[in-house]
Amino acid sequence: MIGRRVGRAVATLSLVVTGGCFATRSDMRVLQGDILNFRTETARADSARARQIATVAASLATVADSVRATSDRLTRFQGDTRGELRAIQQQLLQVQELTGQSQRRLQEMRAEMEARTQVPVMPPPVATVPGDSLTAAPVQGTPGPNQLYQLAYDQLRRGSFSAARAGFEELLRSYPTSELAPDAQINIAEAFAAEGTAASADSAYAAVVSKYPRSPRAATALYKMALSMARQGRRPDARTAMDRVVREYPTSDEADLAREWLRTNR
Amino acid sequence: MPLLRRCALSLVAALAVLLSVAAPARGQDTTVAGVRIGLVYTPGTRPGVLVLPVGGVAGDSIRAILQRDFTYGDRINVIALEPSAIPPFGDGSSKPNYPLFTRLGAAAILEVTPTSFGIQVAVHNAGKGLVERTKAFPLPAGTLSANWRLALHDVADEIELWVTGVRGIAATRILYVSEGRVYQVDSDGANPTPLTGAATAMSPVWNPKATHIAYMTMGPAGQQIVIRESGGATRVLPTRNGLNMTPTFAPDGNTIVYAFGAESGTDLYATNAFGNEPARRITVGRGSDNTQPSFSPDGRRLAFTSGRVGHPEVYISDADGTNAELLTPYNFGDQSYRANPDWSPDGRLIAFEALIGGRMQIMSIGLRDRVIKRHTSEGVNEQPSWAPDARHVVFTSNRGGTRQLWVLDVESNTVRQLTRALGARFGAWSPRSVVASSVGPSPTPTPPPQAQGTCHESWTSRTRPLGTRPRRRLRLPEEAGNDVDPGDADA
Repeated sequence: MIGRRVGRAVATLSLVVTGGCFATRSDMRVLQGDILNFRTETARADSARARQIATVAASLATVADSVRATSDRLTRFQGDTRGELRAIQQQLLQVQELTGQSQRRLQEMRAEMEARTQVPVMPPPVATVPGDSLTAAPVQGTPGPNQLYQLAYDQLRRGSFSAARAGFEELLRSYPTSELAPDAQINIAEAFAAEGTAASADSAYAAVVSKYPRSPRAATALYKMALSMARQGRRPDARTAMDRVVREYPTSDEADLAREWLRTNR
Repeated sequence: MPLLRRCALSLVAALAVLLSVAAPARGQDTTVAGVRIGLVYTPGTRPGVLVLPVGGVAGDSIRAILQRDFTYGDRINVIALEPSAIPPFGDGSSKPNYPLFTRLGAAAILEVTPTSFGIQVAVHNAGKGLVERTKAFPLPAGTLSANWRLALHDVADEIELWVTGVRGIAATRILYVSEGRVYQVDSDGANPTPLTGAATAMSPVWNPKATHIAYMTMGPAGQQIVIRESGGATRVLPTRNGLNMTPTFAPDGNTIVYAFGAESGTDLYATNAFGNEPARRITVGRGSDNTQPSFSPDGRRLAFTSGRVGHPEVYISDADGTNAELLTPYNFGDQSYRANPDWSPDGRLIAFEALIGGRMQIMSIGLRDRVIKRHTSEGVNEQPSWAPDARHVVFTSNRGGTRQLWVLDVESNTVRQLTRALGARFGAWSPRSVVASSVGPSPTPTPPPQAQGTCHESWTSRTRPLGTRPRRRLRLPEEAGNDVDPGDADA
């Protein structure tokens, strides 16, 4: 019984296993048709993808051209802007220089006007007692700040340093709030420096910075003080002062010079 | 020549009368040093001086040199009389015909007598009819040599001081560049002598004591500054590699200021000419070119050319670079060209060159009133350099057809030609101390040393040939070649 049952199972299994090897011709045709369809669809899909890629590439090229053109325009614009900025800077410099010249001329004219207003002023006539020999003396006007400055500055340029200093000190005494006060103070320092009294010069330079910290002369005075200290061999003090120039007056010409001094004197 | 004949007859007659008159005693120096003779000199006038014929082998040369020095000084009017028209004089047995010479315009009569060691000079006051001053001057051996001539020029300067109160400038020398070599020439144009062998030298300058000169030359590392001492030894200033140019000495004699150019512009730098400390920048050009520095006589101010407003203008600043201000006025929008400032030794004026009608001309501006004067008009005239008398200026001009040095008297605007070299330019007038310590010619002129790296510490008398000319970012007019455009030259 068992043997007959095993024999039937083996026969069934053999039929199942070997049945696939015997596909019919119609099955083969169906299979070939499927493969052909698959290939056609694949080719169609590839073609569509290629068209899409070409479209994207064309779009990219257009965009790249646009970007390039925009970049060119931007570069041109930057160049034009730089050129215009440079021209504006030069014009500003010209205006500054011309303003400086005008200010100097104005100051000279003011000094001249002050000198002219100093002509002796006769007081109104006073009824005199017959026989009284006393007459009113002409009253001299005091020199104005511009005239004082010009006179002292001339002495400084001439090499009369003590006379120049006296003139500038007189200006500071008589007109402490004059716009020329910072210039007078720094010129006092210059006079000391020219005489070789470095300590006094340094004090006078420091006074410019402490009294008129917002004046353009403050950066100049601080830088000159630093150079003076360096000449005296006081390098740490000089470095400190140069650092102050850079820190407190970063946009001044003196800051530019101080930066380079600090770089070359490490 | 009826006038001369009358003069001669008068002199003969006068001699007969004067033979009996004792000649005034003559000592070594009859007046106190520094005291002028009794002539009344009015500024702006030129007192007449008659130089009597000089005896001896070199007598004619002595007389000619003295007369020429007085003429070139522009303060003395030389009474030109032929020696044959003047009777023999000088043996102590007679004296000049003072009235006659006074009528001829002579305020002073110069009597020069050769001695064993030099010459004896007696200055007669023609108006007073007496000898005002006598002095013996030693002259070096070697008649008509360069040193002998220089000593004689010094005599002329001292006589000019006696007569006018202002020392002359005959005993000075002028540096210039010809065919790329630095030369020196006497103030009267004699003795042109090469000082360097470099074929690329430019912008020579004297130091205040005339013991050294500085100039710029080309090297493999760019343009460099060379300092040459009187003995001929040279030293390359330790500078950064690149465009180093237009050096100038400060009046202290130790500081040298020069322009250094880089991509960010050209700025002025100051350093010790004989040390090795790092140079200190003194201008803030912010990309512009700042060159051609020139110190004020007291050393406290500095004039320089700057293009910070878009075109070259002359600026002045403190010596440390602060307080920079525009010196030469211009109108907004002008594209003028003003450059090459040179501060006068008396501190009153700054000479500079300005482009006028397409040609450079010599100008000057007053420091006090800022008034500008124009001094030249013929040809192209540039690179002014003051003489120590603050009255004469040497400059480069092509008015004669080729580029040569000419000397200008700024008071009368008269000019004379100084050099006859091949394309002379970059004239630099020496200080008066050139007599005491002259920069002599190098026995064997050799090229200046090449810069190796950034530092040259030792002086050297032997140097290597120079390399090729590097590319330059900036080409200033003074750096242009010495070739002359024929169309630019005035006949």
